[in-house]
Amino acid sequence: MTQEAQGTSGTGTETGAGTIPEPDTEVSTVSADETAAVAAAIVATALPAEVPTDRGPKISAGWSTGLRWFVALLAGLILFGAFVLANGADPIQVYADIWTSTLTQSGQFQQIILRAAPIALAGLAVVVPARAGLVNVGGEGQLIIGGIGAAAAALWLTPLMSPWVVVIAMMLFAMVAGALWAGIAAAMRLVVKVNEAVTTMLLNYVALYTMLFLILGPWKDPKALGQSTSVELNDAAKLPVIAGTQIHIGVIIAVVAAFAVWFALTRTTWGFRLSVVGGNGEAARRAGMPVVTLILTALLLGGALAGLAGFVQFAGMEYKLRPTFGLTIGYVAFLASWLSRHKPLPLLLASVVLAAIAVSGNSLQINSGLPAASVNILMGLLLVAVLGWTSPRKATS
Amino acid sequence: MIIDLLAGAVRGGTSIMYAGLGETISERAGIINLGTEGSMLLGALGGYAVTAHTGNPWLGVLGGAMAGALLSLVHAVLVVSRGANQFASGLTLYFLALGVTALFGVDYVSRQINSFTPYAVPGLSDIPGLGPILFDHDPLVYIAFVAAPIIWWVLFRTRVGLLVRTAGERSEALGVNGYSIKAVRYWSTVAGGALAGIGGAHISIAYANSWFENMIAGRGFIAVALVIFAMWNPLRIMAGAYLFGIALSLASVLQTAGYAVNQFALAAVPFVLTLVVLAVLGKRTMLAAPDELSKVFDNSRTA
Repeated sequence: MTQEAQGTSGTGTETGAGTIPEPDTEVSTVSADETAAVAAAIVATALPAEVPTDRGPKISAGWSTGLRWFVALLAGLILFGAFVLANGADPIQVYADIWTSTLTQSGQFQQIILRAAPIALAGLAVVVPARAGLVNVGGEGQLIIGGIGAAAAALWLTPLMSPWVVVIAMMLFAMVAGALWAGIAAAMRLVVKVNEAVTTMLLNYVALYTMLFLILGPWKDPKALGQSTSVELNDAAKLPVIAGTQIHIGVIIAVVAAFAVWFALTRTTWGFRLSVVGGNGEAARRAGMPVVTLILTALLLGGALAGLAGFVQFAGMEYKLRPTFGLTIGYVAFLASWLSRHKPLPLLLASVVLAAIAVSGNSLQINSGLPAASVNILMGLLLVAVLGWTSPRKATS
Repeated sequence: MIIDLLAGAVRGGTSIMYAGLGETISERAGIINLGTEGSMLLGALGGYAVTAHTGNPWLGVLGGAMAGALLSLVHAVLVVSRGANQFASGLTLYFLALGVTALFGVDYVSRQINSFTPYAVPGLSDIPGLGPILFDHDPLVYIAFVAAPIIWWVLFRTRVGLLVRTAGERSEALGVNGYSIKAVRYWSTVAGGALAGIGGAHISIAYANSWFENMIAGRGFIAVALVIFAMWNPLRIMAGAYLFGIALSLASVLQTAGYAVNQFALAAVPFVLTLVVLAVLGKRTMLAAPDELSKVFDNSRTA
């Protein structure tokens, strides 16, 4: 930033007088959507000036952080509005539609909560390794493998055992499958020193293609019409819902898991050691901590949590594997974890926010005819703003 | 059939090679960019849109490069100037690109364009075996043949390359000698994004000749992994990219030849292959990593 500023001020002194009046005349002549884009750009560029960043770590508390978040979120919303406008839709109408259709109907609100549960669980799969300085990008794949594990348990055990045993078995299968999947990345990190961000990313694709292979091959439901799916879960083995609502107990599992992870990270020796490894691996080694075991357990537990998300998604939401099973939940969860700065309890809130954005994608498609995937822009911008402009830390390197 | 497979490998590997070369440049400067996938997506749509409007695929390549560069510029701002986590920033930008291309790409789905056509090099393409494999392709494939050696030469034999590598190996030396570390990293990251954009454009305006949502399908992430086991060397990138090209074209070649194979089992091959190669060569490979990059790999700042 500094040499950039010097560069512009250097050229500014030479041509300054001539260029200053220009913006006024320009803005008055360009079309409406361009003005909006310019305004958004101004907001974006004005950000660092409005919120000074080099005040040291103490700034993290209170006002200043709140202001940063507010400005960052506002900039994200304005930029998204500009994108929508550039595509020929009315951003105010789009926001109004999103607001009315996702937040004012109770059915939709329950949908958001249901969507948030697997996001929160898969988000915990990012939180735990992050405490040890590990980047688990593989929630997507671990969730799918968890779904496959749950489906396998359902497929093999439904004819043999009572529904309750099947539910428990599905949960265990899913967690073990997810943990093993993350274990591949852990092994590669520990044995051959390949970074887990790269391997978990690649494993996501392997998981997806494994699932597609299964539902188009050996697990294909012969009665499925159109789209290939696996056989639907037996009604008795579906997760029970809370009376009078659509909310299934997976939501409770997610909340309990978040509190359990919070407790493990902040109130146990294991959690403390994990954060030492994350802060300074060498110091942890010198202090005699079992660094290898800590890294391994963090990634395995992360994988198990993502697998649990796959179980909740399978037994609570989709009841069968289909080509879009759990699609993008793992990635959204990754963003949710960063949004909450890897803290388990704020993660619950972040999951609900991102779930609301995801649900609003559907209304975007229905009301404005824009593709549902457009809401990824809003998520991306939100994260760009949060990553770049809400960190109390001064830029290094 | 072998000739089909290898010719398909050269065609399919080209986009990965461009992206891998770009990622090599930015990683040599100490910046890992998982947003390569996003840069390729933007490059694919940018290239397709410009070609559709101008009718000239060469302008499309330029548009793709600019679109890819723009996204990596955001990465540079976040990572170099704002000190954000490199992995998180890259993935966030992938998401952003996914959304942007979905929104702006709607108009271009199933739209016809004047795409690149294969050009058989006179004389060379008549060589039995080798001719159809290497010399009957679109122009971007030929440019890729020379791009890898040129980038190798720039990185290892020129002053600019020395600056880039110093930023990745011992960045404080740049400061001592009056260069700006940030400037070198900005330029390296942006150049990397531009190359990834060209790789994306190759897919939409030369390989698939169409645009659809999320059409890159993980090639950008393969490119990132490829850089690791190519040990940050552009010439090895070239060889590795064609190896992946083989894995990518295996499915279609086998199916045309009438083998009943589950296409998804084969679609996983490039990814499994990458993991296996990393597992086998990983330890030795990581020793070749630029020092500043190793720091990023060893202990990521996650707050």
